[in-house]
Amino acid sequence: MIVECRIDDLLSLIGKKLTHRQLEDTLFLIKAEIEKLEGNIVEIEVNPDRQDMLSTEGIARAVRSFLRIDSGLWKYPVRKSGKQVIVKPGLSKIRPFICCSIIKGVPSDDELIKEYMHLQDALTSTHGRNRNKASIGLYVYDDIQFPVIYKPQKPEKIKFIPLGYEKEMDGPTILAVHEKGVEFGPILQNHSKWPLLIDSKNQVLSLPPIINSNNLGRMTTETKNLFIEVTGTHLPTVDQALNIITASLAERGGKIESVNVVYPDGSTEETPNFKPEGMKLDIREINRMIGLDLTGTEIIQALERMGYGTKMLRSKQVQILIPQVRMDILHPVDIIEDVAIGYGFDNLKPAMPQTMTAGKTNPVTRVKNKLRDLMVGMEYNEVMNYIMTSPELLNDKMLRNRLMITTGNPKSLSYSVLRNSLLPILLDFTSQNQHADYPQKVFEVGDIVIPDETKETCVDQVPSVCGLESDVKVNITKLMSEIGFLLRNLGLGERFKFESEKNTDFIEGRSGCIKIDGKTWGIFGEISPVILSNFGIGYPIVAFEIFFPREIDWLM
Amino acid sequence: MSEQLTKGEKTILRELMNIGQRVPTSQLANNLGQAEERVISILNSLASRNLVEIISREIVSYKITEEGQEYAETGLPEVRLFNAVKSLGGVASFDDASAQSGMDHKTKGIAMNWARKNHWLQILKEDDATVLRSLVDAPESDVSDVLEQVASGKGTLSKSMSDALRQALERNLVSEVITKKFETEIIESEVAEVEQLLAVDSGGIGNLTPEILTTGAWRNKSFRPYNVDIVPAYANYGKKHPYAEFNDWLREIMIGLGFTEWFGPYVETEFWGHDTLFVPQDHVSREVQDQFRVAAPFDHGHIRDRKYYKAVKAVHENGGTTGSKGWDWPYSEEVATRLCLRPHTTPVSMRYLYEHRESPQKMFIIDRNFRSETLSATHGQEFDQCEGIIMDKGLTLRDLLGYLTSICNAVGIKKLKFKPGQFPFTEPSVETFGKHEKLGWIELGGSGIFRPEVTLPLGIEDTVLAWGIGSGRLYMAAMGINDIRDLFSRDLNWLRRSHFVR
Repeated sequence: MIVECRIDDLLSLIGKKLTHRQLEDTLFLIKAEIEKLEGNIVEIEVNPDRQDMLSTEGIARAVRSFLRIDSGLWKYPVRKSGKQVIVKPGLSKIRPFICCSIIKGVPSDDELIKEYMHLQDALTSTHGRNRNKASIGLYVYDDIQFPVIYKPQKPEKIKFIPLGYEKEMDGPTILAVHEKGVEFGPILQNHSKWPLLIDSKNQVLSLPPIINSNNLGRMTTETKNLFIEVTGTHLPTVDQALNIITASLAERGGKIESVNVVYPDGSTEETPNFKPEGMKLDIREINRMIGLDLTGTEIIQALERMGYGTKMLRSKQVQILIPQVRMDILHPVDIIEDVAIGYGFDNLKPAMPQTMTAGKTNPVTRVKNKLRDLMVGMEYNEVMNYIMTSPELLNDKMLRNRLMITTGNPKSLSYSVLRNSLLPILLDFTSQNQHADYPQKVFEVGDIVIPDETKETCVDQVPSVCGLESDVKVNITKLMSEIGFLLRNLGLGERFKFESEKNTDFIEGRSGCIKIDGKTWGIFGEISPVILSNFGIGYPIVAFEIFFPREIDWLM
Repeated sequence: MSEQLTKGEKTILRELMNIGQRVPTSQLANNLGQAEERVISILNSLASRNLVEIISREIVSYKITEEGQEYAETGLPEVRLFNAVKSLGGVASFDDASAQSGMDHKTKGIAMNWARKNHWLQILKEDDATVLRSLVDAPESDVSDVLEQVASGKGTLSKSMSDALRQALERNLVSEVITKKFETEIIESEVAEVEQLLAVDSGGIGNLTPEILTTGAWRNKSFRPYNVDIVPAYANYGKKHPYAEFNDWLREIMIGLGFTEWFGPYVETEFWGHDTLFVPQDHVSREVQDQFRVAAPFDHGHIRDRKYYKAVKAVHENGGTTGSKGWDWPYSEEVATRLCLRPHTTPVSMRYLYEHRESPQKMFIIDRNFRSETLSATHGQEFDQCEGIIMDKGLTLRDLLGYLTSICNAVGIKKLKFKPGQFPFTEPSVETFGKHEKLGWIELGGSGIFRPEVTLPLGIEDTVLAWGIGSGRLYMAAMGINDIRDLFSRDLNWLRRSHFVR
């Protein structure tokens, strides 16, 4: 994910003069990378697990810790505001959770407002799963009459002026007309009532997760105090999103105040909750995983560079406090990684492990390589093609009607199915190379994919070899000697047999099948002029294709 | 037949005997240092005496027209119109948009026509004005690619462009150029005759035959000298594809390091493709814009091992017995059995671990993967990955860096740097960057230590180091290829002339 920052702003938040090079090198070590640098604007790519770094403030905070300008647990003091948000019954199946905060004294200019909106978008698209799990709204605090009410409402009864518009609209109209309504409407569409946020003067704050109202939900350069709400379907996600956006605004100098959310069952949650979660980690475990011999003190230093609170325990363990903007800590290994990052990836020396094993080629690869060597010996040139191709090529041009694995979301019809035979692919190749010198002998050894419902993934992936010769005149007897050479050198000399067989790929009377132990493994013949003309080929062709069972017990 | 040959005829026949195979007349002329027209005229006379055969072929190539050249430089009108609409906010009147794009009257008509045909713009009538609305994020035009390639002098074009090429021809943006090409060879049945004709006044032995050897007739005779100073003809013998050879070489390196090659299918259930790897079921990489879903003839596969399935399900829902929080989100069997084209080779590692749960293990695979991308110079819908895992007691992050270093060193990349990365299935995760002589720092691939959420459901407690390196990327760097479409080059001439040597 890309975060766009102004360098002067970023450096002033970091609080230290860094050259571009120093900034780039530092970011590289903490999971971020400079993608583009133009004038005062820098685009920084942040790894998706670090949602807390999706803003200039978040990146600055991480850099500040890492450079030890201000390390240790990231703390965010919260004052109680006593304001209430009341959740009405009926939302549990629609969008049950809401967490809120108030920020006072936030600096706001046009650039900053744009950045706040960016953070909101970035958080809700990834962490909030395109607003399904969580969506964020920012409002002008001073215009709201508390308590705020969060309630279900019939779509037609929802009426307000959505952000960016001048006319009042009802719910269904917003979903049909407003850009955000069209984009996120599907989240609500199947519900008979939609969530609505109003204040005590009946002014609409927003229709979550679609759009804010133009009256209360439009931040301007005059706005100093903000009310923030996050609604959603997954409480931890909602909580974390609120913490990340609240903390970012606090990094700008805003003072955080809490809000009491009162649920229909009478329970009350005070949000935001910045009380860090604890975890205990064994020092030996940390060293064992990274491959170092760090002391407790060194581990604590590394963790503090990453924004954790720490305390050494007597039992060779470290008590760790996880800042409440980190949503990616699921398991102690996640903290161990941060020890390694805090220690510095540039300080980690590669070690060579002693694990002794004997390597070997997959037997199927060995058969394929044998086939390739034999084909080259017969003066065929190897070609490589995509596995994906078009139904036109596999079936229409070949006059075939075979099943093929078809994708549901192709980007283009030319690459929408998986090849179920190599012959059409090589004919297509030949049709593209009629300017090259003749004779042309080309082959491919590769897998084809045949639908088979009995298999775990409903496919049989079959190794195949296809060879083709094209010239002003071709000779099927020579082709047959070549196939014989191939099969005899695979030890199948006593077991193969050619039988004439009609096949629309080939000219009648000039085609046959290749049988091994009485079972058909392949085909050969002189390509029918109908097919040649379908491919726009102006030269005669003889060709063969043999399918080899993946279980190679046939190879004796 | 006893007619004497002229000196010119003899020279040509001798050269043809030397070459011993069919050869383009241009090459023959080049070998002899003569003008091709002269060589062809002599060949015609030889052909009339039935000594040689001349094969003529018509080659179609393309050149750019004046209009095409203009578009190649300034962009196709429909692209310009679309961009104008986009820059005006996605909806704009036809007049505003064409003014913004600065097109003349004739061109804007062409532009609207094609933008509509391509389903880029919707055309609406509002209050007597024509209004255009954009229907896609970005216009993708193969015609632009055709113009670019033809303009750059690439006369033969790949098949993926055939529709676009047809369109470009119809629109008179490119035109066909037909050239004739001649090839020649000595008629097989006449070889002995030619030999005799050449031998008449040569005063030396031509071909040394068994008969001459038996009779000893070669004693006290001289041998007619052959011209051995020539540059040999380009011969089209059989050989392997350079990219396949590169992958063979990589395979050899992996086996040399003690890795065992494994196999897994292109079509996977999302269970193997993502769930076993602890990728949350609602992760963006599983959406239709990122990976190919299989729709027919079957769209869902099977779960073979219910016990393992339950363990994986528990890990997703609440961490199971792994000490993890899990994703705290309902886990769906419908999603787990959905079929996709594998987006990475990592499911193959899982399939290997499923069958090999005792240390030590080292496995690798070099094979194809699929991502929902539109084919362009930088992105392909298919790519090869060289993937490996090592499982052993007491392996560490530093050991992972050690393995990555030795593999990269083996393929000739000596200077590396490591960046902390993020993948849902590894922790810690590492991204490797290698310094390429010409290209600078290039990203080689991702790696890490498999998370406990990935290994513990299999009962594996030892460390598993895992990585995947894009083998196509390494190959392109090694061969100096810039366009990813040339990886699977469909140009036989290029294949015949190119090689991979290490």
